[in-house]
Amino acid sequence: MSTAPETTEQLINVELIDQVGVISLNRPDKRNAMVPAMLNQLNAAVLDTATKARALVLVGEGSVFCAGFDLKQCANDPSGELMRALLTGLSTCVRSMRAIEIPVVLGVRGAAVAGGCALLGGADVVIADEQAKLGYPVVKIGVSPAVSAAFMLASITPGAVRSRLLDTKLLSGIEAKKIGLVHETVDDPDSVRSRAIEIANTLAAKPGSGVRATKQWLNEICAPMSDRAQDGLDVSLGLTGSQEEQERLAALWG
Amino acid sequence: MTADNTKSTNAVTLDIDGLIATLTINRPEARNAMSIEILDGMHAAVDQVAKSDASVLVITGAGRAFSAGMDLKAVLIELSGDPDLGEALLTSLARLTLKIRDLRQVTVASVNGAAIGGGCGLTCVCDVTVSHADAKLGFPEVDLGICPAVIAPWVVKKLGAGVARKAMLMGGVMSGQEAFEIGLVDELADDQDGLAELADKIAQRLASGGPKALAATKHLLNELDGSLEEKMVLKGAKLSATVLATPEAQAALSARLKR
Repeated sequence: MSTAPETTEQLINVELIDQVGVISLNRPDKRNAMVPAMLNQLNAAVLDTATKARALVLVGEGSVFCAGFDLKQCANDPSGELMRALLTGLSTCVRSMRAIEIPVVLGVRGAAVAGGCALLGGADVVIADEQAKLGYPVVKIGVSPAVSAAFMLASITPGAVRSRLLDTKLLSGIEAKKIGLVHETVDDPDSVRSRAIEIANTLAAKPGSGVRATKQWLNEICAPMSDRAQDGLDVSLGLTGSQEEQERLAALWG
Repeated sequence: MTADNTKSTNAVTLDIDGLIATLTINRPEARNAMSIEILDGMHAAVDQVAKSDASVLVITGAGRAFSAGMDLKAVLIELSGDPDLGEALLTSLARLTLKIRDLRQVTVASVNGAAIGGGCGLTCVCDVTVSHADAKLGFPEVDLGICPAVIAPWVVKKLGAGVARKAMLMGGVMSGQEAFEIGLVDELADDQDGLAELADKIAQRLASGGPKALAATKHLLNELDGSLEEKMVLKGAKLSATVLATPEAQAALSARLKR
């Protein structure tokens, strides 16, 4: 990735506000679409923030949390190499969010689509604006959302996972709350960031002994599911560069 | 409750009326907080139910609380003087949850008032939970620097892991109405007066099922979701006791009790 031009760009912002680390995806003109360098920076920031803060907030700059992978770039890469880097980078980020000792609050403004929605799998508390759009409409471009399956199964009910990963429909924030994908909604999209920070401050103010032990213990209880994250990533990787994927991406962007 | 059918210790009463057994935690002056005495009484009562012909067990609390959770006075070392009491209590609670889950009888938690921490965890072990809009439920362990490790496996099974994660990491308490909305409570009465009637109606309805069909279904559900694997629950007792003994947790508990 070191030769890619975007590595020198700052694709995420990191800020320490009191005891809360606030990480924001920073490609607002592209609806924070993910490129490998962004995911590398995000993963490094998550791991680094865990050593400096007592709670972590993940949000997006601009009006959209994250539109998913930058598919326009993928459409121009018939080797599938870019798609593989994105899938691997995404899985690494979600695993890091889950593994760090401090709780993670994620705020969805506008939309969390595909890879953007997959980031929810690493969060402990998810808030969204009521009208936000959330979902995994990736089978229509010939990509498998299997990379997210293990984390979704460690979050919402198995029935809901099935329909969310296979059905391309996007849910509103309100609908996503009904299935437990989102825990709290706010009516004003402008307040997503401040509310996420407020929740993180509440978490940061609690004695660390209980919060750390409880997060770690919940991870252990959910391990039979989330330990299969690699299997899901392998399934998604298995389709990259396929004819179906290339044709469908080209139809979108070619 | 008729005297003839009532088997009780002071702290816990058990009434078996036909197909329906009712276990009442009976320390209203201590908000039914789980002391060794109450836990011993519950173990004995649940053993009694297992041997009975009842099809349904209703668990409720006397007075205004269901159960305020672990007896904080017993787990604060500066008060109890016994650093091992916390682990003894937690292990007893862990074994009680497994015993209740393993009952052939269908279990109903009738949450008459506050169900806090371990008390709220107890409701998650039951097959059905009924309450009323003004009840208070929740897992404020993290607010006290401690970890709800014994009950976490049951909360995850009841709510699903994502909702359980949010509820247990955010701490605090919620109303019966909010608990109903996240699936912690299955059926909701308008107020405490309406709860007894609702709980009775549900117990009667459950008891109308064939005892063998109920028992076979419950057993299958327990096998499917790993309820009968005791390892995680007992490991939870060890973990919870370890966190409980840390200076940070003891300081937070001490501050709470002096409030």
